[in-house]
Amino acid sequence: MIHSSRRQLLRTLGLSAAALPFTGILRAADPPPAPRRRIVFVFSPNGTVPDEFWPDSPGPDFTFKRILSPLTEFRDRTLLLRGISNKVRGDGDGHMRGMGCMLTGIELLPGNIQGGSDTPAGWASGISFDQELKNHLQSNPATRTRVGSLSLGVAVPNRADPWTRWSYSGANQPITPLDDPSRVFQTLYGGIKDKKTLGSVLDGVAAELRDFAAKAPPADRELLERHLTHVRELERKLQQTDAAPMRHPVPPPDPRLELVNDRIPEISRAQIELLVGAFANDDTRVATIQYTHSVGQARMTWLGIPDAHHSLSHDPDHAKESHEKLVKINQWFAGEIAHLAKRLASIPEADGQGTLLDHTTILWTNELGKGNSHSQDNLPFLLLGGGLGFKTGRVLDLGGIPHNRLWLAIAHALGHPLTTFGKPELCHDGPLPLA
Amino acid sequence: MPVTIRMNPSVLIVVLLAGGLNAAPDGAALFQTQCAACHGSRGEGVAGKVDEPLQGKRSLAGLAKYIDRFMPEDHPEKCQGDDANRVAEWIFGAFYSPAARANAQAPRLQLSHLTNEQYRQTVADLFGLFTGRPGEFTGGGLEARYFNAEKMEQRKEHLVDRIDSQIVLDPAVLAGVPKLKPGSFSVTWTGSLFAPETGDYGFRGITENGVKLFLNPLPWREGREEVPVIDGWVSRGDQPRIEEARLFLTGGRPYPVRVQFLAYGQKSASLRFEWKPPGGVWELVPATYLSKSWAPAVAVPTTGFPPDDASQGYERGIAVSNEWFDAVVRASVELADFASQNLDSLAGTKPGAPDRDEKIRTCCVRFAERAFRRPLAEPQRSALLKDFDPENPETTVRELVMRVLCSPRFLYPLPPGAPTDGFATAASLALSLWDSVPDEPLWQAAAKDRLTTAEQIGEQARRMLANPRARHKLNGFFRHWLALGGAERMAKDPKTFPSFDEHLIADLAVSLGLFLDEVVWNGNADYRDLLLADFLHVSPRMAAFYGLPPVAGEGFTKVSLPTAQRAGVLTHPYLMASLAYYKSSSPIHRGVFVTRNVLGRTLKPPPMAIEFMDDRFDPSLTMREKVTQLTSKPACMSCHELINPLGFSLENFDAAGRWRDRDAGKPVDPTGSYPTTQGESLALRGPRDLATQAIASPEASRSFLIQLFQHTVKQAPQAYGPDTVDQLHASFTTDQYHIRNLLARIAATAAAPQPNPATP
Repeated sequence: MIHSSRRQLLRTLGLSAAALPFTGILRAADPPPAPRRRIVFVFSPNGTVPDEFWPDSPGPDFTFKRILSPLTEFRDRTLLLRGISNKVRGDGDGHMRGMGCMLTGIELLPGNIQGGSDTPAGWASGISFDQELKNHLQSNPATRTRVGSLSLGVAVPNRADPWTRWSYSGANQPITPLDDPSRVFQTLYGGIKDKKTLGSVLDGVAAELRDFAAKAPPADRELLERHLTHVRELERKLQQTDAAPMRHPVPPPDPRLELVNDRIPEISRAQIELLVGAFANDDTRVATIQYTHSVGQARMTWLGIPDAHHSLSHDPDHAKESHEKLVKINQWFAGEIAHLAKRLASIPEADGQGTLLDHTTILWTNELGKGNSHSQDNLPFLLLGGGLGFKTGRVLDLGGIPHNRLWLAIAHALGHPLTTFGKPELCHDGPLPLA
Repeated sequence: MPVTIRMNPSVLIVVLLAGGLNAAPDGAALFQTQCAACHGSRGEGVAGKVDEPLQGKRSLAGLAKYIDRFMPEDHPEKCQGDDANRVAEWIFGAFYSPAARANAQAPRLQLSHLTNEQYRQTVADLFGLFTGRPGEFTGGGLEARYFNAEKMEQRKEHLVDRIDSQIVLDPAVLAGVPKLKPGSFSVTWTGSLFAPETGDYGFRGITENGVKLFLNPLPWREGREEVPVIDGWVSRGDQPRIEEARLFLTGGRPYPVRVQFLAYGQKSASLRFEWKPPGGVWELVPATYLSKSWAPAVAVPTTGFPPDDASQGYERGIAVSNEWFDAVVRASVELADFASQNLDSLAGTKPGAPDRDEKIRTCCVRFAERAFRRPLAEPQRSALLKDFDPENPETTVRELVMRVLCSPRFLYPLPPGAPTDGFATAASLALSLWDSVPDEPLWQAAAKDRLTTAEQIGEQARRMLANPRARHKLNGFFRHWLALGGAERMAKDPKTFPSFDEHLIADLAVSLGLFLDEVVWNGNADYRDLLLADFLHVSPRMAAFYGLPPVAGEGFTKVSLPTAQRAGVLTHPYLMASLAYYKSSSPIHRGVFVTRNVLGRTLKPPPMAIEFMDDRFDPSLTMREKVTQLTSKPACMSCHELINPLGFSLENFDAAGRWRDRDAGKPVDPTGSYPTTQGESLALRGPRDLATQAIASPEASRSFLIQLFQHTVKQAPQAYGPDTVDQLHASFTTDQYHIRNLLARIAATAAAPQPNPATP
């Protein structure tokens, strides 16, 4: 991996001077033509609690159990897919492969990162599905957006290894999720904020230059005059780049928000707000949100659970207290999904055709089906919203098919008819029929 | 002499008549009839004839002799003997000599903004006021901690702590760590890394295992772990790979560094941690640049600035372009982000502290005062904080930093109309010696009114010389004086010089640096040693290439060489090789360098551009013969009579700077005769003679002084008074040509209270 310096790093993060207003955030005044289709992949770790996640039977007549109860109002817009497995094998333990092979559908490379069992492993050997979609949408002017894709995180540790990355721009190229709302805001809208500040800074500079010129000997005035000319020039440019206002104004996140465990609920809401804003302004149509990481140890003190999530997930089924805590933890994640859905449903599309949720699918999943068995079968796939045109309001049991076929189905729904994605051997029988 | 004659036609007639009455025309009249057609009536030049003004440093006698021999260019015989003397006398007094020019137009102090280097050093030190002082940088290596790893525990079993002079893991190193499990262990190296120059640095770890580099980590937000510059923690199979990054660093200061290594469950383990400093080559980071001492993170803006104006031969901040202003704004945004994101540690507080607001306000005021180089009076202080938002200090600080760093009061360090008080003196001293802002002791001296007398100013200047920033500044001067810009990119014909490669060039650069360090910082700092010293720092590679006796060890060994072959910087192989062609020596490049930079004499641009094309000459000719042939025309010889003998005296050094006795099969002839400014002829018999003549020449030491002044102060010395150069030169001479003392005196001269430029 070559970082060409901090400069490059800053640029990647959208922090460099490239974010300055005069280099421009120019926005199209008119929204691009419909239909827009969007997708956001949401990850939460350490497996679910199957008996409190899956409805009792498949089909259209189901009721949510406790974990999904926060989503009750979206029952008819939800599609639950049981019987999907991550069948990618190879190096790495279950957590690592669950994370690194989820969106990539392909093996991890051999490496030096050792988990509690199995063999050491390295990065995934292929691009992740979200980036594949991004590349597809960005290659077409009709679907191209300013940002292309947004990789968000909530409480992701500052540590790059196969447990902390699920999005890859290619083999060996993991993408760092942006887990600081202020940084996300700066990436998306930093230029607009700077422009106001800069305008006032330049006023002060011009006044001081005039004061200097009055005191300077005549021979030095020319230099100051030239300086002043450039100040005016920049002021003029700033006014010129006054572009169409944002359709959906996004206020900056609270800069005092500390990125610590106990602030996870606020961080989550701030990230959701930024994501909804980015969708509403059509800055991106593909996004991921990663809550903590595989083996994540969030302590949900705000639910009265001081225990670390991953440690709890290893407790046996009969440990009632732990079981109860894990239900509450997963219910909290479902609540965040519900909040995201509510926000999307509350904002009309630019063209007046329905709401954002009508054209957005939230896909929520996990690296494991069940925490204490490290099973990669029956991964909890939940799809919510109308971004893909899939038939919702039902539960399907697919009987143990590889998850690569779900990615194929989504690709087809977004006009990208792939025949394989990830490991070709896992793509037999093509896209899942979900429409 | 009537130097105030204004030439108009009527005066001219009077002069001509007067000349006629005395039977011999006077100098002014002769000039108008014989010279003015090309040189202009006041020597200002005539477009298409002689473009540049008639100015120079020859003595009156030297000038007369020169006119006698070469002028007028087409008919030198028309102005000889007494005529030549009279013309020379008039020209000399009217406009030719430095004194005449000084009388005609005294240089003034020119308003200048910070140069690029001054900007970078200044912001680094401004933020450095709030991040703490680095420990003493001792070199020698980094502190290393070795552990055996087991599964997820990368530090399962502590093995050893020690100092590693280089960051390298090979079988020999691994064998030296008892109980180490060769395929499964981790190492952490910590300390600081010294960046000798400002520029882009490459860093890379070559390993089949995991490697991370943290260098000058600036966390995005406080409380977060630092972001690695290289994150190659996850290996990719067992094939060695290169994990590489580039980082722009401001030179002359240490940076916090940490390198981490992990091998786990792998067949093998190895690491080479290398850097490529600006103009250098990939190499293991030398121990000299690694220290176990602590250093704080440094504020380094990555914004690129356009090059500074160097039209007068030294960089100064008089170019105000759109690109410059753009860079100022961009860099201010970068640094504003740095400040707002690290606010608590900069202000020495933490979230929720009851006095957080107060501390941040205090920090803001101190930042602005240091940036503006003087205390803020009450109305300014309130104005600075009038928009302070206690609900959102980060945003306030961000805006304030942008405001301060875009302000003319920051960008023009010696602004018009500023009081000439101790703070102005302190600002000037810090700029001259460090390219930066005053440190705490200097600020306090100004605040307590202890920067008034020459003794007080001199004392501070001498104290400041001990700081590594002063050494950094002086290093920059030597690069400039020795015309080394771009020397690292030189190339030589691989057939003629098979092993003259980038590694040898890098060694030569280090060798010259060590020589200068030794002369300037270790010894008597005697300017004469720069030109006369007989020693050379030799690496094994250099010993092999230059046919010197082998040296022991990996590094550089100080070796004394026969004095006939060695004369300080003048004969250093780096300089000799850089002042040469691809295949052959270049007496012209060497001669021009010695004439201008060492002897301080002026040369006009060549009347015609003639490319030296080696294959046009009879191959049996020596280089000396070829150059003599090429420059034989009188139009050429007016300068080459000076250039050639100086260049020829170095002909014993071939294109790579190797000593030779023969050229083109004939013995090298380094002898020659050099016309001094006094019009005398000096015999030169080789490099040693050249150096001896140079140190005996007051012009040479004066020129050294003037160049050092310009580089240091970035103003013309005459702007500080017509006698400035004379006085400095007199003390330089009586002070055994002590370079460091000269530097301190130059800084003190520029810092002494100046009369305020007249306000209109």
